[in-house]
Amino acid sequence: MKALMSVAALIGVVGILLLAAMTVGIIPSNTVRLLEGYMPVQLVLELILFVAGFTGISYMMAAMGMAFPRFWQGILMWAFVLLYLKFRVYPPIPFSVRAMYGAVSLVAVFMWVSANEEDWKKFKQPIMNVLDAKTGGIRILRYAYLIILPLLIGGFSYNAMVPKSEEPIELRTVHPAPPASTKVHGKTYTLQTSQNPYRINLEGKYDQDYSNAMTVEQGMGRLMKPNANPWDKDAQGYLKYVREGGEIFYQNCHFCHGDNLNGRGLHAFAFNPIPANFTDPGTIAQLQETFIFWRVAKGGIGLPNEAGPWASVMPPWEQHLTVDEIWKVVLFEYWHTGYYPRTWD
Amino acid sequence: MGRVAGKKLFSIMALCAMIGLLLLPIVVSLPSLAIGADAPDAVKKEGAATVEKGRDVYYKTEGIVVGAPAPKTVDGPRDYPRYNFESRVLLWFANQQHLYYGSFVLAVPIFCMVIEFMGVVTKDKAMSKRYDQLAHDFIKISLTAYSLTAILGGILIFTFLTLYPAFFGYLSSIFRPVMHIYALMFVAESGTLYIYYYGWDKMTDGFLKWIHLSMSVVLNVIGTLLMFLANSWIGFMMSPAGVDEQGRYLGNIWHVIHTALWNPLNVHRILGNMAFGGGVVAAYAAYKFLASKTDEDRAHYDWMGYIAMALGVAFLIPLPFAGYWLMREVYAYRQQMGITLMGGLLAWLFIIQATMIGILFLSTNYYLWQALGRMRGAEKYQRYIKYLVFVLCCGFLVFITPHTIVMTPAELKAMGGQQHPVLGNYGVMSAKNGGINVIITTTILSFVWYMRGNKVSTVSWSKFGNIFMGVFFGCAYVNIIWLAIYGYYIPANVRVGLSVPQVATTLSCLFFMFPLNAAMMKGAKQMGAIEWGKISVRSQYALIMLATAFTWMMGLMGYIRSSVRLFWHVNEIMRDNSPWAYTHTVGFAANMISFNVLFFWVSILFVFWLGSLGMKKAPVEIKAGVPGGAPQPAGGH
Repeated sequence: MKALMSVAALIGVVGILLLAAMTVGIIPSNTVRLLEGYMPVQLVLELILFVAGFTGISYMMAAMGMAFPRFWQGILMWAFVLLYLKFRVYPPIPFSVRAMYGAVSLVAVFMWVSANEEDWKKFKQPIMNVLDAKTGGIRILRYAYLIILPLLIGGFSYNAMVPKSEEPIELRTVHPAPPASTKVHGKTYTLQTSQNPYRINLEGKYDQDYSNAMTVEQGMGRLMKPNANPWDKDAQGYLKYVREGGEIFYQNCHFCHGDNLNGRGLHAFAFNPIPANFTDPGTIAQLQETFIFWRVAKGGIGLPNEAGPWASVMPPWEQHLTVDEIWKVVLFEYWHTGYYPRTWD
Repeated sequence: MGRVAGKKLFSIMALCAMIGLLLLPIVVSLPSLAIGADAPDAVKKEGAATVEKGRDVYYKTEGIVVGAPAPKTVDGPRDYPRYNFESRVLLWFANQQHLYYGSFVLAVPIFCMVIEFMGVVTKDKAMSKRYDQLAHDFIKISLTAYSLTAILGGILIFTFLTLYPAFFGYLSSIFRPVMHIYALMFVAESGTLYIYYYGWDKMTDGFLKWIHLSMSVVLNVIGTLLMFLANSWIGFMMSPAGVDEQGRYLGNIWHVIHTALWNPLNVHRILGNMAFGGGVVAAYAAYKFLASKTDEDRAHYDWMGYIAMALGVAFLIPLPFAGYWLMREVYAYRQQMGITLMGGLLAWLFIIQATMIGILFLSTNYYLWQALGRMRGAEKYQRYIKYLVFVLCCGFLVFITPHTIVMTPAELKAMGGQQHPVLGNYGVMSAKNGGINVIITTTILSFVWYMRGNKVSTVSWSKFGNIFMGVFFGCAYVNIIWLAIYGYYIPANVRVGLSVPQVATTLSCLFFMFPLNAAMMKGAKQMGAIEWGKISVRSQYALIMLATAFTWMMGLMGYIRSSVRLFWHVNEIMRDNSPWAYTHTVGFAANMISFNVLFFWVSILFVFWLGSLGMKKAPVEIKAGVPGGAPQPAGGH
């Protein structure tokens, strides 16, 4: 047990040192890289390692007769979460989310330190000592708190209320709600039921399973499936349409949405927000193909009022592309990212 | 005829009267239930040539038009008469209060039925009496609340008639065939409630008690049907059926009632009402515990709080799954509606809702951990609580991660895109399903620990049982998390389907581990009795938190469900042309919900006070803490 805890303690110490170095800026956050595509799981595993590390440190210190006071355990645990979110995770997490995470962590720390009477007493003890102020030194500390705490609260309040020149917070809609139907080039499409006419099998029939089997592999690299290369000159049917969609994409869309469809095209950073990242599982992977068709056809300017608040400068592509071209571009986007359009069956 | 036989006869007659009341509305309205009942007359009078047919907007069937089209309202005193105040807010308030009380009076009789049943089947006579007294006390409170519900219902109808006459006129014209059934159901509900309540002391033992218990079943059937009918109106407003594109009634009332969202709404509301009822009763018990001056009172209210919490949480556990089903049906009905709810305009309200759900489960776990403190021998579990906190916290953080992040343009730029590469993954359904299932599984684990807190299994296979249980929970966590990750690599329709094995995993923990634990603890060695009343005050605040979170969440979800219609009174059929056909800001909605919650709690305290005026003192034959005499909590513990 001791050996196991020693290893855990070692991991904990290394973790703390790394985080401290990231916090003070000695080393950058990406010294320990977050691997694209695996970041969420990596983050959770890191946190588990940290908790195991803290358990090891706590155990070792207790074994050495230097048990760490519960009060400081709680405070430092919360501080760790705040610092980890602020200085370890990159790109930076917006404040609103860090505030939510911080609040939940504070509640979690409270639940931990007050889970039973004994722990709660241990946690409260330093606070009670200051409030009771039985010795001269602690009495001075109490007076210091009496002055410092209101000043701190006042300072935070002032800082929160003072007018700032920053752009205000924007609550925008990531997925504007689509209409039930949309009219493109004189034809009405019902978004719930329309299908991409080019998502077809070799017999020319709509077949999503067939096309799903031909899309690239997800994950790092996004490799093509064997015998499913749209740029093969003999490619027919679905793959041929993917290639045609790709050509349209690289003629019109990649300047903003990027070569890899990750929203980082040549002009992308002229916009804020930058164009949609189709490789993110939170964009086209969540949506029906008809939704994308509608968004491409109508662009930012064609969004209905109830879809707001939105911020999109995408042109209404129906003014530049035919219906067939739009469907093919949509087909290519799904193929290239390896995602499958949402269906409801 | 002997006195006992007379009583039996009287009881059976009373039960038959209740069943008669239940059937009365249906019998009375049978002619109107016939499909297109009004149509033949119209046809006969005007001749076949004038028959106009319409196509059902949802069922796509043809029917004879027998109703007027939905009115095209205009902003003005004819369609939208008003006071110098926003009519929508007034209606919101009236509706919400009626709903709170309606939920309470529908939930409490179910609650009483369960407690009375526990009293009947409990072999310990003292315990049986205690359960019975508890159920009786609460049906009494329910009586007072029932009057208030009826008053609030009246206020709601007057508010509709006064402020939205055109809309209400249209809705009542559509539901005309069942409007009187609804009213008669109220009569039946009132009648059965009074017979049930006043017959309590007259039917205390044996056969008569079972008859009395049967009455509570009838009472609850009526209450549930009543709620189903009310749900059909909101179902119709969200996902209309039984009318053509102009909103003309096509003569089939079943189509009007049985809309796309009716059944998911019914299931969700039953579970929600029960969880809410449990929460309110638990908060009442917590308040009385905190105000208690004697150990006996503290023991009684501690026990009451535990029972109420356990019942409430029993319905809370399946509630997210029912909610998931509802949302799935909403998406299937209208993608637009689903996206407005969960990815669009109302997405942030869903994040608040996720936060409230998390708070409910956190409060429950915290209460259970505190409750371990009143058991001797539970220390062995307390030391592992920190790991449960960690797991719960991780699940909670994933569950509340927003997909639509609030940020300044500078933060947006620093993030390098609209989606955060880490948080973006947590903000979608696959991860959130994993998050909530982890939370619920951990809650089940906390319950298992609580149920064995002061016991040591004596069965010969206890070691094997413990290992099996540990492995089972471990595999459950792995399966839930693995499926959450796997969900990113498969088509969306399959991903949606993955929720089924995730839920099945969670529920299998509930349905297999509870009985296994009960079997292991049969004849277990007791380390000490449960010392009722010797629980920290923090636990009682957790119960109050639980109830407040329930109330707030009900208000929030009602608002979300209603707001998703955007500028429609009846979705895609009748447009809202009042000046208030816009969606409120998140801040305004939150303030309004908080006001409704505050008003409800102040008024329910008044109801509790009224109820307590004539309440009998609970018999406490069992002294708190006496080994062997401790009340046995629900769940076989």
